[in-house]
Amino acid sequence: MYEIRFHGRGGQGGRMAAEAYALAAFLEGNYAVSFPFFGAERRGAPVRAFTRVDKEKIRIKTQVYEPDYVVVLDETLIETEDVLEGLKENGMVIINTTKKPEEVRLSRPVRCATVDATSIALDVLGRAITNTAILGAIARATGEVGIESVEKAIIEKFGARLGEAAGKKNAEAARIAYEKTLIGTSQGGKAFVPKKRWLPDVNELPVGGAIGTLQTDAGLVGIGSFIENKTGDWRTFMPEIDKEKCIGCKICWFYCPEGCISMVDGKAIVDYDYCKGCGICANECPVKAIEMKREVRI
Amino acid sequence: MIQKIDAKKMVVTGDYAAAYGALLCDVDVVAAYPITPQTIIVEEFSTFVNDGITDAEFIMVESEHSAMSACIAAQAAGARTFTATSSQGLALMHEMLSIASALRLPIVMPVVNRTVAAPIGIWCEYNDTMPQRDSGWLQMSCEDNQEVLDMIIMAYKMGEHKDVLLPVMPALDAFILSHTVEPVDAPSSDEVLDFISHYKPHAILDPDNPMAIGTFTPPEYIQELRYQHHVAMNNARKVIKDVTKEFAQKFGRDYHGLIEAYKCDDAEVVLITMGTVTGTARDIVDEMRAKGKKVGLIKLRFYRPFPIEEIRKIAENVDAIGVYDRSISYGTGGPMFIETKNALYGMEKPVVNFLAGLGGRDVVKGDVEKMFEILLKAKEGEAKEEIYWINTRGVSI
Repeated sequence: MYEIRFHGRGGQGGRMAAEAYALAAFLEGNYAVSFPFFGAERRGAPVRAFTRVDKEKIRIKTQVYEPDYVVVLDETLIETEDVLEGLKENGMVIINTTKKPEEVRLSRPVRCATVDATSIALDVLGRAITNTAILGAIARATGEVGIESVEKAIIEKFGARLGEAAGKKNAEAARIAYEKTLIGTSQGGKAFVPKKRWLPDVNELPVGGAIGTLQTDAGLVGIGSFIENKTGDWRTFMPEIDKEKCIGCKICWFYCPEGCISMVDGKAIVDYDYCKGCGICANECPVKAIEMKREVRI
Repeated sequence: MIQKIDAKKMVVTGDYAAAYGALLCDVDVVAAYPITPQTIIVEEFSTFVNDGITDAEFIMVESEHSAMSACIAAQAAGARTFTATSSQGLALMHEMLSIASALRLPIVMPVVNRTVAAPIGIWCEYNDTMPQRDSGWLQMSCEDNQEVLDMIIMAYKMGEHKDVLLPVMPALDAFILSHTVEPVDAPSSDEVLDFISHYKPHAILDPDNPMAIGTFTPPEYIQELRYQHHVAMNNARKVIKDVTKEFAQKFGRDYHGLIEAYKCDDAEVVLITMGTVTGTARDIVDEMRAKGKKVGLIKLRFYRPFPIEEIRKIAENVDAIGVYDRSISYGTGGPMFIETKNALYGMEKPVVNFLAGLGGRDVVKGDVEKMFEILLKAKEGEAKEEIYWINTRGVSI
């Protein structure tokens, strides 16, 4: 049996990728299981999905803690957490990035495959939904499934949802990613400070879970903890406001689900500490003064 | 606040006793949906508000679900709240019951036990309250209207205790108590307020001091909250005993905690009853005792927390135990029977179940006598069945 852990952000389709991969493995006569783990986070929040593949029926129902492969759909995630956590010694990581494997810095040197799935998705699909392209990269990097099975699975799964033409387009994205995947070894040595989590025991937890603002070892929790827990790094695309075009109508201010837009001197200003890059403001702007630009972080 | 009310003797229905109990406890908010199967408990209370005896906020809501929601919100804002319901209304409220208890809000809600449809019935059956077993409330049943009044008062004191902080659901039998008048001794408001003392909420929704209550909570925390809730329910055992004792000292009426043992000391067989059948069973025990039969009675007051130790202690010295149930878990037996068997695990005693009074059928003296007769046979190892359907046409016993 081998196990895969997918790291993505809400809305990127990590779950669909994990499911489509399971279908591809199934089409080759394997038994495959796939499942997501997420909370109430919306678009942009870090989410995980898991796939297990075996020749025999898989009975274990736990999450995956020691994967053979780690797939990262969003490059920004390798900066904020150690995606290699629990990865088997000889395991492999597949990352959506513009970098070559040798340019990627992780917590330790590890077999690494890279592909610019975002560019491929933008070229082929016109949208930065990378979950099908990354499947081609997995097939190439791991050799566990054939690209033909991946294409079939994508057409079956995505075609059923989006129509046959879209299914085929997505399969094409996977094929291109398959061709463009680079395989090598990552750099190591990147230090991650393990994120402390607030795990109170039964005596420490407030009665009934009623909570105000609590200062804990893990930082602020409860009401107002957003002061420390910024969500700006959830963004893949950032809104840029053209002040010349902005007419100060406040429609973006009204529609922003995060309250990230304020009006200064009659013009809209974005709070990038919290903006998750959902793009609703750009979509609603009546004079097209807001453009969503792909964000590159160093 | 309520006006000062003197102690008095009244001849009132169980409904009135429940409403009057809430009045004496100076509740701040009452939310209710006034339609059948609702009883007149909340209507009686609305009269107190109308007459200016209390300045409690009386909220007319659009459903039983909303009634509990309103109570939850008001209680979370620091108010002492009260509502009442019955059968389908309680079923509709089910979702909110777990929220009230898990948020640890000591709401008090008398439930008039009425048949849950189908078929439609407004008479006494416990198939409304029994399915609420795991909703995390303290659940108990009253024997007479005096106990209804006293229990509402004690319920606030038990529920609001810092070691408990759970809502309480005292039940009263439809019609047999709810619509029956009998003499009730009502204490003065001063005495009651002195007894229950001021409600100190563990958390208050206050704009000046923001607090999140009942928000989205991931698996890292919920299991510990469940444990806290479980501990609180276990703590309630001691608090119930302490409160009934203190009540007895102050008001002279002793309810003995979670159960009351009636003539069990030298009994060979005991019958466990709940609700109004207890009164009839007391008479039967006396009559059978007069004929030299060593029979006893356990009045089960609390269903949650279940009096495991108390029942085991009595069971040690008897030869057979009978459990009377007024509702059925289909294919298994009555809920109290199931609980009793669980409590007696490991004790090799015959335990038999008597189902009677379903749908509000009157449970008559002959029915209770029959239960004891079967128990006396069970003592000799001669009981044919584990579950007996008393007075059920076409079912022989």
